Amino acid sequence: MTKNRIGSLFFLAFSTFYFYRVFSIKKMPGNQFEIMTASTFPFYIAITGIAISIILIILSFIEKDQAKLSLQYIKSLDLKTTLYFILAMFFYGFTMKAWGFIIATAVFLAIGFLILKEKSLKKILIISISVSVGFYLLLNNVMGVYIDAGDLIDNLVGAIS
Amino acid sequence: MMDGILLGAATAFSMYNILMVIIGCFAGTFIGMIPGLGPISAIALMIPITYGMDPSSGLILISGVYYGAIFGGSTSSILINAPGVAGTVATSFDGYPMAQKGQAGKALAIAAYASFSGGTIAAIFLLIAAPALASVSLSFQSSDYFALMVLGLTAVAAFAGKGKFLKAAIMTIFGLMLATVGTDSDSGIARFTFGRMDLIDGISFLLLAMAAFALSEALMNVLENHKVSKQEEDELKKDIGTLKLTKQEVKEIIPTIGRSSVLGFFVGVLPGAGATIASFLAYGMERSFASAKDKLGFGKGSLKGLAAPESANNAACTGSFVPLLTLGIPGSGTTAIILGALLSYGIQPGPTMYIDNPALFWSVIISMYVGNFVLLVLNLPLIPYIAKLLAVPKQLLLPLIMFFSLVGVYLVTFNNFDIYMMTTFAVVALFLRIVDFPMAPMILGFILGGMMEDNLRRALTISDGSISFLWERPITLSILILTIVLLLMPLISEFLAKMKKRKES
Repeated sequence: MTKNRIGSLFFLAFSTFYFYRVFSIKKMPGNQFEIMTASTFPFYIAITGIAISIILIILSFIEKDQAKLSLQYIKSLDLKTTLYFILAMFFYGFTMKAWGFIIATAVFLAIGFLILKEKSLKKILIISISVSVGFYLLLNNVMGVYIDAGDLIDNLVGAIS
Repeated sequence: MMDGILLGAATAFSMYNILMVIIGCFAGTFIGMIPGLGPISAIALMIPITYGMDPSSGLILISGVYYGAIFGGSTSSILINAPGVAGTVATSFDGYPMAQKGQAGKALAIAAYASFSGGTIAAIFLLIAAPALASVSLSFQSSDYFALMVLGLTAVAAFAGKGKFLKAAIMTIFGLMLATVGTDSDSGIARFTFGRMDLIDGISFLLLAMAAFALSEALMNVLENHKVSKQEEDELKKDIGTLKLTKQEVKEIIPTIGRSSVLGFFVGVLPGAGATIASFLAYGMERSFASAKDKLGFGKGSLKGLAAPESANNAACTGSFVPLLTLGIPGSGTTAIILGALLSYGIQPGPTMYIDNPALFWSVIISMYVGNFVLLVLNLPLIPYIAKLLAVPKQLLLPLIMFFSLVGVYLVTFNNFDIYMMTTFAVVALFLRIVDFPMAPMILGFILGGMMEDNLRRALTISDGSISFLWERPITLSILILTIVLLLMPLISEFLAKMKKRKES
């Protein structure tokens, strides 16, 4: 299938879903007297989106020289590593509140380096810990942007002091 | 007026105030480089420091921070494709490809020269015509703004190669759709929030820009996993920190810088328009002016494509001081913070400010020029070192880029839902990149969407629902005619080229 057709089908689906959702935008009493309501602009852009997607799909059948998404290209992609990274980012979001900034960041960076096959464990530990601690100190102590270090770190610092 | 200018010059060139400009530019550049901390955060951080200062020195420091932060934002756009500020999105279109080609130093140098020139030209304009321009900015009404937004959207033509206009158009629509998520500014009704409180404020620009550019670029690098040989890598890194521009290259970008600076300044004068529209318009205009051969280079590391938005966004920053200082109207979020600072000093900006407080008014304007000069002197020697960032091995650099992008967005709201949403957008952006749909029009549509809807609603209300507002006001009509001309320009030039060919044969 051509790249244009795949993209256009995606936008047709998205625009149709968006168009469907336009009708669930609440109406205020007296809306009928309004020149432009909360759903007017979305309504017209949804219709434009659907129209352009359909034109693109039709063109993808008419024009012969369009680029194709080849199986060879898909096979050459490193899908496994990319998926690991996407999961790592979701995991980072999840751990940010639970573990606090310093630990969550250090773990995310270490996982990232490991996924990309960095071999030196010493380098991984030094960079991940120094970046997370350094950035935390920079934000909290220099720029005055408060960011939660995490309960574990807070308790540790409290116990030491 | 001359007395006021001389008084302002004496204040601006005092040792203390020059030191303030230097500190401001340095701090601003540093803060601006961190995604998520744009000029608004940088200025907000500086306000408590300026409380104990004389109003002129405080405002001079704040202005320096403003410029510095915009320049710092360009640096992260060029080096890691992470535009932390809307005004530097267009910088990444050609700046990042240049950095990818091993010309990071040159790209940063062009950004510095263009910013300096844009700021300088705009400062001169400001010096000459600030009070007079105030009336121009007041004469703009909602219908004119709507037309200006439509003109801004025509910049999508600049991102559309031959036969790709419809792809750019659907991406713009996609951006407009995303801009409608959240609470409707007029009625207060929630739209497309699916009952989630996290979406009630809409999607933030930073989140979308970071996901579409920085994160998806990093993921694309992981996905395609290009193995570069040691020899190729050495070749790429050889000139990474070089700032040298050839005579030919300088000649090429001078007219671009001139045109874009003037355009940027005048767009900046209009409240609400600002550096973002200025940079996109300048990019679009340059592409329209370029020869057929040069056009192909846009988006792939064109010098003109980098110089245009850079000079325009700096000129617009200077221009945005016109409505602020002469009318007391903040044209952007950043100038609103500056207005707050002025009020805290007990100064009410307005038409009489340059008569009541000439030292403050003119010293700020003159210090803008000094600030631009300081930025250039301060940043040029640092460029080779900043550019070396790209020499960090890929297995270390990519997770760091992802970290800075994610945390930059997290810092704004401290809501981990934003990290999930950003990752999801990055995956969608990755898919769209694979199928060759351009990201820039989506960002353009997103930025202009909200403003466009608000101004359309206002214009329709004023004209009682009639679309006659499109042709009733001369400013609106002129802008719309310009829009049509710009849209038809590729067709006209193609037609003219065909005619010329026919004549020759």
